[in-house]
Amino acid sequence: MGPTATRRAMLAGAASAGMLPFLRIPGARAATPGELTFGLSSYPPSIQPWQNTGTAAATMKLLMYRGLTSYAADGSLRGELAESWSPIGTQGWEFKLRDARFQNGEKVTSADVKWTIEQIAAERSTAYFRAEMQGVERVETPDDRTVRIILKAPRATLPVMMASYHLPIISRNSPRGQFIGAGPFMLKAQERGVSLEFEPFTGFHRAGLPKLKRLKAIAYADENLRVAALRSGDVDLIEYVPWQAMDGISADPGLSLDTVDGAFMFLVFNGGRPPFNDPKVRKAVAHAIKREDLVRAAFFGRGSPLQQLPIAASSPFYNAEYKDGWKYDPELSKRLLAEAGHANGVSCSLLSTAQYGMHKDTAEVVQQHLAAVGIQAELNMPDWATRVAIGNRGQYELAVMGTAADSNDPDGIANFIDGSLSPSYVRSYGLKIDRITELLAAGRAEFDDAKRKIIYREMEGVAIEQVPMVGLTWRSQGYAMRKAVTGFKNLPGALTFYSGLTFETTEVA
Amino acid sequence: MLAFAARRLVISVGLVWAVASLVFLVIHLIPGDPAELLLSQGGIAPDPAAVEELRERLGLNLPLWQQYVGYLGGLLQGDFGYSLQDDHPIVDEIALRLPRTLELVGMAGLIAVVFGVPLGVAAALRAGGALDRVLSGAAGLALSIPVFVVGTLMVLVLATQLKWVPAGGYVPFARDPGRHMLLLMMPAVTIAVGLGAVVFRVMRSSVLEVLEREHVRAAQARGVAPATIIRRHVLRNALTPVVTVVALHLGSLLGGTVLVEFVFNWPGLSGYLVRSVEARDYPEVMGIVLVISAIFVLLNFCVDLLYAVIDPRVRHG
Repeated sequence: MGPTATRRAMLAGAASAGMLPFLRIPGARAATPGELTFGLSSYPPSIQPWQNTGTAAATMKLLMYRGLTSYAADGSLRGELAESWSPIGTQGWEFKLRDARFQNGEKVTSADVKWTIEQIAAERSTAYFRAEMQGVERVETPDDRTVRIILKAPRATLPVMMASYHLPIISRNSPRGQFIGAGPFMLKAQERGVSLEFEPFTGFHRAGLPKLKRLKAIAYADENLRVAALRSGDVDLIEYVPWQAMDGISADPGLSLDTVDGAFMFLVFNGGRPPFNDPKVRKAVAHAIKREDLVRAAFFGRGSPLQQLPIAASSPFYNAEYKDGWKYDPELSKRLLAEAGHANGVSCSLLSTAQYGMHKDTAEVVQQHLAAVGIQAELNMPDWATRVAIGNRGQYELAVMGTAADSNDPDGIANFIDGSLSPSYVRSYGLKIDRITELLAAGRAEFDDAKRKIIYREMEGVAIEQVPMVGLTWRSQGYAMRKAVTGFKNLPGALTFYSGLTFETTEVA
Repeated sequence: MLAFAARRLVISVGLVWAVASLVFLVIHLIPGDPAELLLSQGGIAPDPAAVEELRERLGLNLPLWQQYVGYLGGLLQGDFGYSLQDDHPIVDEIALRLPRTLELVGMAGLIAVVFGVPLGVAAALRAGGALDRVLSGAAGLALSIPVFVVGTLMVLVLATQLKWVPAGGYVPFARDPGRHMLLLMMPAVTIAVGLGAVVFRVMRSSVLEVLEREHVRAAQARGVAPATIIRRHVLRNALTPVVTVVALHLGSLLGGTVLVEFVFNWPGLSGYLVRSVEARDYPEVMGIVLVISAIFVLLNFCVDLLYAVIDPRVRHG
């Protein structure tokens, strides 16, 4: 055989070999009972327990770590490593620990809780709750099962805070650079940027849980591919279901969709300079936007208008009287602008980002509605990193933002409306409304729920008039799964990103 | 020849240094703070003290020139540094991801050549005929369809509708060779659609041009069998421009498979670069761009040497 013939044969062989995989017709992956493959929206940049590195990381943290408290599937606060808790006067809380173990087999003790709080509050800490834990006066450990956290200032919401996925209790005997938690799953292997594999922790404190034999989380950054992976059977469950795919998934007899209106979109202002240092102009913006258009255009109808502060209707602190506090009323907007001395209209910049469709679409609809009342907004849509930097430095006039509250407690929205906090892209820049700061502090210090309701009602009334932010829409936050998956639940309201807690009860038939 | 090679080597090293410096400067000039970003994930306001502490820990508070000197010093020792996000060694990550992108690009090139070359020859031999018109039309269509459309359609039809293949992802060859090849084929074919069309077109025009040459006409006049003429006199000469075009395209695909890697969840170098830029992970961005540019420079250096071997006038040019 001559050399030419050999080349030809080799090429033909290579072509045939290349096509071989396509001849394998059966399904891409057969589901294995007891094993769950989870399609993550992104690979967590880090799973350091106390740092905030995003919701994908938070879900992974809920598998490995647990705090003193957490949430039940219905969103109610429940004991986790603590079986009970009670206030000590107004300055402290006592937690009674249950008989739980860390994944290294050691018992969870009050000394571990004390050590955790000290690590978070440490001088060189980069923890999300660093400032809050620096507000701890001292931690008392009268015995192994009792821990008393004494605060410098009263905080009725401490048990809620201790449920945060950024506040897990870690073994004080963790090797340097490692963090041993007491969650239901142990990290078995990870391929950076690709996937993480978990196996059940047999010593988990809830008897009979977790139910899964194996859990693999694979990152699918492309939302369409994430959906395709679910439909083709590559994965059993996905998070961040894109809104445009929700109808199709609902109609698929082999799949189920679990959505809640948890996260929300809103506008923030640069209140340090005209025109948005004037509450009338801010209020004009609030009344200029028809939210139904936003829900339709940006979220394919999967969401609902938000015309007040983002406190969920299911919350006991929800104020129905402010339901239409910022309702669409273009005539009122024009009148308010005229009263503020802008009868001929006003020009401003509108910051958003082209990196995320929901931010971009929201900004475009807002721009049109503002133009209709005489506010000419020029869009500025850089990538997300630049948008964050510009927002933190107040180099904008009006900006689109989207996120979820820290919890379903009204104190969970303090981050977005308390202008006394440090400048941040998530809240209006240079816009300090003293009464709101005072009422937030009062609500935090009040232990009587009835009194807290009165405080937060007044706070919302002030917010409706002073407009520290403009609520736009609740957006549907969805998980989709094969029908064979049971026991997984999308937690209500702001707790949607805590749904990873229910992996402990999840089963795959 | 040695002097020529030494001169080219110095220029190549200078180019790599220039790229390294330029990337360092550009990435530090664009807005966005890695520490702020890392602690602001999920639309949450970080504690400014924590951000400042992280900046200090990551060395971002040092004067820019000190960071530059440290960066160059590290490079000289083969140390690309560590990811700002999770302290992972960047060299390890590049060593893991570069072969995946090379494999993807290589397979795409192979498919493009396997289909593009014979079809290009066939079209040229029947220039103006029905086959030529059909193939040329198909090549035009393949060139005009964006790569993400081809990829998305393949996922929709083959994975979602027919469920013949996984929607995307990656499994190491050593763990499961069959599944690895299965996952490789869709992104490779997606890239090969456009690249194959280029190969087809170049091959077709190259064959047409060679067919007009005198030595081919002379062979025909001597009564040499047509198949022999094609194999011995046309193909060999016509392949040279195809090799050049394929090599150039494969080089540019090293950093340009972003969309395909994204659509098929292929964890290669391009997707890594995009995520690093998004996170403003300075050491990662600098390391990846440096490696890609070094490969380019190395390829050019080799081509320069080859030219000098083939044509001695180049050495004295």
